[in-house]
Amino acid sequence: MLLIRRFEEKVEERFRAGELPGFLHVAIGQEAVAVGVCRALEEGDVIASTHRAHGHALAKGTHPNELMAELYGKLEGCSHGYGGSMHLYDIERGNLGANAVVGGGLPAIVGAALAFKFRDEPRVGVAFFGDGATNIGTVHESLNLAQLWNVPAVFVLENNHWAESTPASQHLPITDLSKRAVAYDMETMVVDGQNVQEVYETAAKAVEHARSGRGPVFLVANTYRLTGHYVGDPQVYRPKNELNELRETQDPLDKLRAELDISDDEFEELDREATELVEGSVEFAKAGTDPKPEDALKNVYA
Amino acid sequence: MPELSYREAVRDALSTAMRQDEDVFIMGEDIAEMGGSMGVTQGMLDEFGPERVRNTPISEAAIVGTGIGAAMQGMRPVVEIMYEDFLTLAAEQVINQAAKHRYMSGGQLKVPLTIRTQGGAGWSPGAQHAQQLEAWFVHIPGLKVVFASTPSDVRGLLYTSIYEDNPVIFFEHRTLYGIKEEVPDELEPIPLGEARIHREGEDVTVVATGRLVHESLSAAQQAEEQGVSVEVVDPRTLQPLDEATIVNSVKKTNRAVVAHEAVTRMGFGAEVAAVVQYQAFDWLDAPIERVGAKFTPLPFAPVMEEWVIPHADDVLQAILRTVGRDGN
Amino acid sequence: MATEIKLPRLGQGMESGTVVRWLKQEGEKVEKGEPLYELDTEKVTQEVEADASGVLLKIAVQEGEVPVGQTIAVIGEEGEDVPDAEPEAEPEGEVDEEPQEEGSRAPARDEERERGREASVETEPAEAQPTTVDGRVKASPLARRIAREKGIELTEIRGTGPEGRIVAEDVERALAAPAPAGAPAGAPAEPEVEKLTSIRKTIARRLTEAWQAPVFQISMSADMTRAQEVRERLVELTAEGEAKPTVSDVLTKVCAAALMRHRAVNAHFVDETVRRFPTANVGMAVATDRGLLVPVIRGAERLTLAEIAAARADLVSRSREAKLQQTDLEDGTFTVSNLGMYGVEQFVAVLNPPQVAILAVGAIEEKPVVVDGDLEIKPMMSLTLTCDHRAIDGAVAAEFLGTVRELLEEPALAL
Repeated sequence: MLLIRRFEEKVEERFRAGELPGFLHVAIGQEAVAVGVCRALEEGDVIASTHRAHGHALAKGTHPNELMAELYGKLEGCSHGYGGSMHLYDIERGNLGANAVVGGGLPAIVGAALAFKFRDEPRVGVAFFGDGATNIGTVHESLNLAQLWNVPAVFVLENNHWAESTPASQHLPITDLSKRAVAYDMETMVVDGQNVQEVYETAAKAVEHARSGRGPVFLVANTYRLTGHYVGDPQVYRPKNELNELRETQDPLDKLRAELDISDDEFEELDREATELVEGSVEFAKAGTDPKPEDALKNVYA
Repeated sequence: MPELSYREAVRDALSTAMRQDEDVFIMGEDIAEMGGSMGVTQGMLDEFGPERVRNTPISEAAIVGTGIGAAMQGMRPVVEIMYEDFLTLAAEQVINQAAKHRYMSGGQLKVPLTIRTQGGAGWSPGAQHAQQLEAWFVHIPGLKVVFASTPSDVRGLLYTSIYEDNPVIFFEHRTLYGIKEEVPDELEPIPLGEARIHREGEDVTVVATGRLVHESLSAAQQAEEQGVSVEVVDPRTLQPLDEATIVNSVKKTNRAVVAHEAVTRMGFGAEVAAVVQYQAFDWLDAPIERVGAKFTPLPFAPVMEEWVIPHADDVLQAILRTVGRDGN
Repeated sequence: MATEIKLPRLGQGMESGTVVRWLKQEGEKVEKGEPLYELDTEKVTQEVEADASGVLLKIAVQEGEVPVGQTIAVIGEEGEDVPDAEPEAEPEGEVDEEPQEEGSRAPARDEERERGREASVETEPAEAQPTTVDGRVKASPLARRIAREKGIELTEIRGTGPEGRIVAEDVERALAAPAPAGAPAGAPAEPEVEKLTSIRKTIARRLTEAWQAPVFQISMSADMTRAQEVRERLVELTAEGEAKPTVSDVLTKVCAAALMRHRAVNAHFVDETVRRFPTANVGMAVATDRGLLVPVIRGAERLTLAEIAAARADLVSRSREAKLQQTDLEDGTFTVSNLGMYGVEQFVAVLNPPQVAILAVGAIEEKPVVVDGDLEIKPMMSLTLTCDHRAIDGAVAAEFLGTVRELLEEPALAL
């Protein structure tokens, strides 16, 4: 989680320096969900991510070098410069792609899970999405079909109570998001998304449920977005004191630190490691190879 | 040589692929017991079982998206969208996802998905059940688009599309399901990107797709009686387009007509005309004519519907205009 | 190692911000992440956190507007040397008018965008292409229409459009058919080499010879009022189907008469001898697309104007149809070159060796002339005589030309 946190902070810094083109959405505050869920997965399991994808990608095993290089648009990036922050793919490590379209990745996870079922493989597909996404058609079609066909999928709802700048009160007619799955009669679990240990344990149960053939699971992780929607977002729509309070009380890193009773020295050591990795990734990225303009013509078709 | 209807030819291609390959399966609305709204998949449930011949809920986005996901895992799903008008509901998954996964991942994966659908006017289906939308999809890099007009073509091309490693939108035409043709005993795969010359001629080239291939052949016959020799070319694959065959034909005849059932304005025919204009500029003796539907949604009343959509007569008039015969 | 605190770009379109006040003093300890100063952007005033921990060694900008990227403070170890806070401006792009939005153009990456743009317009220079391909002449529809309307063959035109195509401009140019010196090549040739036809070779050779002769020119202007009247009268009397006399015909007749009176001009200069002829074979320069031809009207001094007109018409049409015989071109004793129909006021013709003189005639134009002290408007035509000084002197030339003028101004004198 510390790695993700330092990575995202570095991303914000480099963005402000004008070095990172395009759209960037950082997962500061939501690290525990990414780490907790991905740690509960096994080799062969796949994930589909959202536009806020760096945390998922790192948690699923993509090296920060390749991730940073992708943000810098280099050939050494995990998508070789073709995708960017919202289209991070790492097929080898089971990351089927971040998605810039809200809810866009869920149907493919249903399809992946269906394929696992066809082939009798003990693999699971995991789709991440946010509370904002629970309002779009593809999410509902996917939940319906997954439950109907009993596929080994876990749908992880990162409920951070915001859809861009729209608070939950303005986009959701309900407050208990587990109700979304009732309509599909899907197994539902709810967890405190800021407690990485709890996320891990609950995710493990969900994944096991799916893997054993008992059907898909709807996992609601209540979490908090401790930054703006995008890097540079001044969050004019968010009450300042709310944000400050959350930062004080709901930081998953602080919580884990407290729980594990990590000393300052130990933390500094871990911090140094993480920071080194991150700074190394920036160097790696900056030293990377720019694609040639004509490389744009490749990879359109297989 | 056996005779197959277009419908049977589609079924044959699907079944042949499914018999030889466990990774091929089909899904769509009402395709199992009912055998599909057009009867294409009749009998397949019995042969292949409900796992591989799957009825789906009415969820076009999920149908296509699930197909994408399974394809990404190496299977070769063939999903059916009941009417091509409903591609609109799956458009996000087709255009933003299927067409782009390979590219955005920098080449890490492929999406060998086939989306079969049908459309076409005639018999008053009404505006939301009759469109011809190929122009939208030939415009999206990453997709391939096929539109076969005969039983042998549809059989050979569908089989190839299933084994194509890229997403293919496979258009069928409603009014052609019943037509019959002698086909080879064994299924002969037809490569994508190859046009077919149905009829050779010297004076005018007609490039036609779908139902209009048959209308054009009829028009060509009438033109012959008036002393105009017409060559009819069916591209069969719309993307990638066999430009060479089309352009060489026009270089021979010096005149071109493009005919499709879709609305003329901004249609697929406009692209063909632009390609011909550019590559055969110095061979053209007349402006390129386009035949297609008038710029309206499809009306219901038969008299209006017939007026809006193109027929053999429209193709004939276009042919005659290019040779300067109708007084223009 | 001290850290420079630079003004951050907090969103697309932000070019500068205003430091409102510092929340820490110089010398104070700062933790990374602590609010350091208040920044006013166009949209909002917000606190900006410190990027590093340490001591706030220096505040470079106390307050005021600062461009993005400029160093505003330094944080480091206590007692460290403070590097001169150079305003290191980030590469600025164009001023963006869009409100603060998601996403950034990343001005630091502008160079890459430049590269992408430039690469996209690089094209191979097109190779020169032939105008005719597979027997089909490449011509634009507009060029074809103009050619069709004006009755000119496309095969005679050279294409300068893309891929060697004939475009409207090429057809227009071919139609203009300028002076013999500038006649366009006949067959559509490859751009590289135009071999001279034998006609052109001959012309080239003879003109080179001519150039070697020591020549002089004299010029006069003739009042063509009477000549025009006579001509018009004769045209009225011309029967249907017969060639109508032109000013050129009058000229031919007049020159022939003058040549008889000044035999020295009706001569050839060959090998250091001058040969004077008893009869005037007057040649007319005719422009064809194969080159300049000079068919000859023999014994012009004995022919009536009608006979001259007929002979002239026949020779001109046969020239244009390339049906002249060698005899048509031989034995000329004097040449008249008329560029009047092209609007040329006056010009100097090149000798037509071995002839010792050539007369260049311009257009008839209304000009103000002084007649007996009064200003009048008269139709004037320029006459310029080029002479081979080896055979003729100035006085002889002047007398001849004077006679030509006299006869033009009163044709009755030629009878």
